Amino acid sequence: MQFQTFGAASVRLWRFGQGHPVLWLHGFEGHPGDAPYLRRLAETRLVIAPEHPGFGESEGLSAMQDITDQALHFRRVIRALGTRRIDVIGHCLGGMFAAELAAISPHLVRRLILVGSYGLWDDANPLPDAFSLAPPAFAAAKWAKPEAAPATTEDPMTRQRNLGSATKFLWPIPDRGLIRRLPFIEAPTLVLHGAQDGLVPPAYGQRLAALIPNAGFQAIEGAGHMPMLEAEDAFTNAVTSFLG
Amino acid sequence: MKFHWFAEASYPKLPPDFRAKKISSWVDTPKSLHDPHVVGEMCRMFIRLMQQADRDGFDGLAVNEHHQTPFAVTPSPNLLAAALAHTTQRAAILIIGDSLALYNPPTRVAEEMAWLDCLSGGRVIAGFVFGTPMDSVYAYGIPPAELRDRFEEARQLILKSWAEQEPFAFNGKYTKLRYVNLWPKPIQPKFPIWVPGSGSVETWDLCIENDYCYGHLSFSGLHSAKPLVDAWWEYCDMRGADTNPHRMAFTQLICCANTDAEAERLYTDGVKYFYRNRYTNPAYEAPPGYRSSKSVQAIMGHRKIAESKLSAEDRARAASGEMSFWEYDKHGFIIAGTPARVRQRLREMCTDLRIGQLIACLHQGDLPEEVAVENTRLMGQEVMPGLRDLWAEHEDRWTPAATQLPLAKAAE
Repeated sequence: MQFQTFGAASVRLWRFGQGHPVLWLHGFEGHPGDAPYLRRLAETRLVIAPEHPGFGESEGLSAMQDITDQALHFRRVIRALGTRRIDVIGHCLGGMFAAELAAISPHLVRRLILVGSYGLWDDANPLPDAFSLAPPAFAAAKWAKPEAAPATTEDPMTRQRNLGSATKFLWPIPDRGLIRRLPFIEAPTLVLHGAQDGLVPPAYGQRLAALIPNAGFQAIEGAGHMPMLEAEDAFTNAVTSFLG
Repeated sequence: MKFHWFAEASYPKLPPDFRAKKISSWVDTPKSLHDPHVVGEMCRMFIRLMQQADRDGFDGLAVNEHHQTPFAVTPSPNLLAAALAHTTQRAAILIIGDSLALYNPPTRVAEEMAWLDCLSGGRVIAGFVFGTPMDSVYAYGIPPAELRDRFEEARQLILKSWAEQEPFAFNGKYTKLRYVNLWPKPIQPKFPIWVPGSGSVETWDLCIENDYCYGHLSFSGLHSAKPLVDAWWEYCDMRGADTNPHRMAFTQLICCANTDAEAERLYTDGVKYFYRNRYTNPAYEAPPGYRSSKSVQAIMGHRKIAESKLSAEDRARAASGEMSFWEYDKHGFIIAGTPARVRQRLREMCTDLRIGQLIACLHQGDLPEEVAVENTRLMGQEVMPGLRDLWAEHEDRWTPAATQLPLAKAAE
């Protein structure tokens, strides 16, 4: 892990492995750090996982006035890596960012994977309010098997900071106009979704896949909002076979 | 020492099992639990009480902004202020305050306060608030990550719109206006400005840097308030800021009667109703990002001091309406009894906490109007005169000049 500055943002950045680069954009609860599933992806490729501005120890959220600034921030990250085209995987809030990036910078994204991604809103099927669910209800929505969920080791203050920063893009309704930009995505896209995701129900993933020009949808059984933890093998297989 | 009349305009007819059912009193409280005719009666009562307070010598009439709650049915303080500005003569119209981040464009605040200043003859105190999380984040949908930034931009725009004599353009992040040109302009060349807070260091900085009056507006009792108020004054000292007591406002529930026994008889139900029915879904009270990490840590420190004086168990009993009347009094949630007793206890508290602006809450919960009438009369005629000497040697820059005239002169 190292700090790196991109424009007005000074962020932590994790790098693992080598090979064709893949950018990992984390979800609203925070950066996974040195997670086993990232290590596994790094067995065959270079994984670049920046922390978002305003999360953990990374600064620069005040420079992100809207979602465009946030997407252009990732464009800066990719440019700074010196690669022209990169695979992008975004989870949760990071999925929303990844889709925005792929829409406004289609020339930079080779293949796109969206996992339990925010960004849409359906009046007929409203998302739960992730920010006010009491901890047991939150766990029940997040995990397919809450009783078997890994214990959290995260500092509560850091978690509050992360969720607070996430409100910039997810509160009060996690819709910043992505639906109008999805048709501009050119990259072949895989929408992955835990079949038991209660934070972002799978119907949202199906809708994303329907609106992105060249996208497929795949549900992962036995997993909620964190398929990379609850069904690591199925998740890794889906990702590696799609990225090739 | 200045005294301002205030009450949370609590809906008085919540069902008896409201608290037992753990219904949140904010954000998503079922609308079926209220009758708009009762709200109308209640509003008329509060207007009458504040008109009386004006006659009884109070320095200000305080109105506040809350949304989607039976705890205080005052979604627009400026509407209540308009009713008062037109029907009172002397007291300041203390708007405490408008939630700046919730008005779009924020020139709405500047216009309405200026208009109220005209209507009242220059009696408006401009209060700027962030709003509780329930109001600003949940009812009005502002992302916590943007709340302070929006407040600050709105504040700059409002101040400039009062000060500038020529039309100007405003290119903000959240508000863009080609022509800002306020009609009417306020009577007062410079509004006294108050900003209430709940212990955030950033709010202290704002008050110190702009010479605002800081308000600690809470009902959690003296033990919770004291560490926060002490910390505020220490912070002022540390920053070399003016420690004039008139730059500090404080809310206090007061229950005054001819005898202590009568106070207990008259006010017990209202006080318990007030505390019992304030339960709010904890998630709505603390959304992530509403407070900075720095402030969360500072506030947790103050809470530890408070808990050394009053256990978490006792605080929970207080918050659920289960303390006895005199326990509430003992721990400073209320100050009750004869005018002499109330006067003595207020003198001790205001001296100890260095408070120059007391916001006296003289109606609580479902208190009958006639009890609040007597409370207001006793406070105005028997308690306040005996406390006017306190802090008299300090100038008060935080109430309007028009309200500081002697009574006889104001009546001319």
